Amino acid sequence: MIESFKYLIIGGGVAGVTAGETIRQKDKESTIAIISDEVHALYSRVMLSKPNFFLGKIPFEQIWIKGDEWYKNNKITFINKQTAISLDKDNKTITLASGKKISYEKLLVATGVHPRPWKVVGGDKKGIYSLRTIEDGKGIMEAIKTAKRAVTIGGGFIGFEMTDLLKLAGLETTIVLRESYFWEPTLDEASGKMIEQVLLKAGIKIIKNTEVIEIIGKENVEGIILKDGTKIPCEMIVVGIGVIPCEMNWLKEAGVNTKCGILANEFLETNIPDIWTAGDIAEYKDLILEENIQLGNWVNAHEQGRIAGLNMLGKKTSFKFVSFYTTQGLGINIAFIGDSRPLPDRIVIKRGSPEINSYTRILIVGKELIGATLINRTGELTTIAKLIENNVDISEKHKELGDINFDLKKLL
Amino acid sequence: MANIKEYIRKKDGSKISKIVIDRDLCIGAASCIAVSNATYELDNETKAVVINADAIDDETLIMSAESCPTKAILLFDKSGKQILSK
Repeated sequence: MIESFKYLIIGGGVAGVTAGETIRQKDKESTIAIISDEVHALYSRVMLSKPNFFLGKIPFEQIWIKGDEWYKNNKITFINKQTAISLDKDNKTITLASGKKISYEKLLVATGVHPRPWKVVGGDKKGIYSLRTIEDGKGIMEAIKTAKRAVTIGGGFIGFEMTDLLKLAGLETTIVLRESYFWEPTLDEASGKMIEQVLLKAGIKIIKNTEVIEIIGKENVEGIILKDGTKIPCEMIVVGIGVIPCEMNWLKEAGVNTKCGILANEFLETNIPDIWTAGDIAEYKDLILEENIQLGNWVNAHEQGRIAGLNMLGKKTSFKFVSFYTTQGLGINIAFIGDSRPLPDRIVIKRGSPEINSYTRILIVGKELIGATLINRTGELTTIAKLIENNVDISEKHKELGDINFDLKKLL
Repeated sequence: MANIKEYIRKKDGSKISKIVIDRDLCIGAASCIAVSNATYELDNETKAVVINADAIDDETLIMSAESCPTKAILLFDKSGKQILSK
């Protein structure tokens, strides 16, 4: 007998669990199962890179979003430590790595992404960390207890937050960037320099325009060698050089359309009937930008899980959402809203300046805002997101947008 | 002492009378804002603040608290008891 669920969710992160929760709120009886490649019930993946959590200022227990009892109380079958390896769309059945087959009526694939592997000579030594799971986080927590010197790789979120953390933990820290400034090209150089200044002020070394060509040491990391031959001794390395989707071949082979992620329309439906996708792996039709995009952040995954759940229930709901994400550390607050990619057709309006340590860039296409980057101006996030969401015509308001004394709420 | 901010809710028919934000826990993930941008916004320290405690119904308010990846939003009834999800 093949086990069967009305709603089968592959992926135990926030997108999958929120979908399960949404379905259970409206349908008290049908069978639901969530399959996770991890052992744990839902936890807060975003907390893993937060210094306050690492340094014990936020209690460790706070990481658990759902306990095991939540699945039981909601009659959701939780199948942990399993991955799906094949899909038979005609018979609506998946096969797990264990060989077990499970059939479904409605399937959600929300398997997420994982850190881009770092291909470098000596990359198999002990002391090299990336961040996806709670085990990765625990590994770093353990390593900072004994390491004296650390290197972080990559000028983005993980690079910024982990550098902050390592420095706070008392390690001599160096960050290595391939780019010419921090967060290039999503931020402009002026914004990137603002971040670099706080890093430098905290005593962190920044090495730009280079790459690591070799990791030295016997079994454990003892240092890195850069392209120009410079050696930097260290006992640990944290790598944040982007993400790639989790395994998608099993879906591709079954005829599910994929590109950088799993392709979906605005209802988060794939090209195959009764299969949806949500979260970091979804490459969905964005109704605001009118193109397919893929976003990796908690807010987006939570909201997509909810929308996918509604659609699986038959309540056809489109996903229309201005996404945003933030980070802070070392006294600087950084936020990205909507589409902040610096493409050639964007008009950029500057609001505030690096000199006053308060700097917003507003990105415009045609008559409307499409995105923004904010340094120490996070207070404007909600208003800018609303201006994007409501398609407010700002073609006559460029001057006001650039005036720091003008309250953006007046445009709503 | 915990760095908390309290907001009194006076919405008719609501069983929730207080919203508390623990600013030490808040990381500015802004999932609460995704659920209700009429209720919350971020301040310049990237912490969530309540701009209108009465903007949404109880169900949505509970959802906004539950969406928080650090459980920084706490809801209380009139007797001071914390409201938890079902």
